[in-house]
Amino acid sequence: MSSRYEIGFIITPEVSEEEVKKIIESITATITKAKGVIENLDEWGRKKLAFPIQKNLEGYYVFVQAEVDGAIIATLERRLKQMEKVLRFITLRLDDKLKKSHKLTKRWAKIDKIRKKTADSRGEEKESDDFLDNEEESDATEK
Amino acid sequence: MQPRSNTGDGKPPKKYYSARKKFCAFCKDKITLIDYKNHKNLENFISETGRIFPARVSGTCAYHQKQLSKAIKRARQMALIRFTEEKKRIT
Repeated sequence: MSSRYEIGFIITPEVSEEEVKKIIESITATITKAKGVIENLDEWGRKKLAFPIQKNLEGYYVFVQAEVDGAIIATLERRLKQMEKVLRFITLRLDDKLKKSHKLTKRWAKIDKIRKKTADSRGEEKESDDFLDNEEESDATEK
Repeated sequence: MQPRSNTGDGKPPKKYYSARKKFCAFCKDKITLIDYKNHKNLENFISETGRIFPARVSGTCAYHQKQLSKAIKRARQMALIRFTEEKKRIT
């Protein structure tokens, strides 16, 4: 069973550009070897950290989104742990809460429909801006 | 003895003004999944010292508050958001 994952990691700032490429390639290669598909790879580049990690004030951020088998993620995590040049890493499954979010979007569509109806019917009777504003606020809290 | 009443000496009861109603910022923008990577947005929901605001203060709904707290904790792990910061003393 393959599902969508996101892998993010921070590389130490002392590392040269060639070595950064090597680290990224080694991770992407393991994904492609296991018949995984890399959807997106965004490099933020050097960025100031919110707090020092191992006395480093900066870090090289890389995020990879891919569709892989779950067993590969375990091996990736093991490999990232062994790398001394990687300060921190994080792995997430992305399609965890999609079911519930789908429910939410349905509910929002319903509320929009009702709001349109009420706005139309009230707009014909009387056009007072204050009244409509109050109506919108009360709707927002109901969600 | 006379029963105690709000009106007391015939004056009308004090009027309390209710605060403006809060609403969930994520429901307003119709965001279903909160991403931990856009830390600039998340910083609106933490205090000066780095604590997460409770839902009754920020007004976020239960579903989004649960996601938000997780997103902030993930952002902290990746050093995008500070864990704590000492309060600056005004002398």
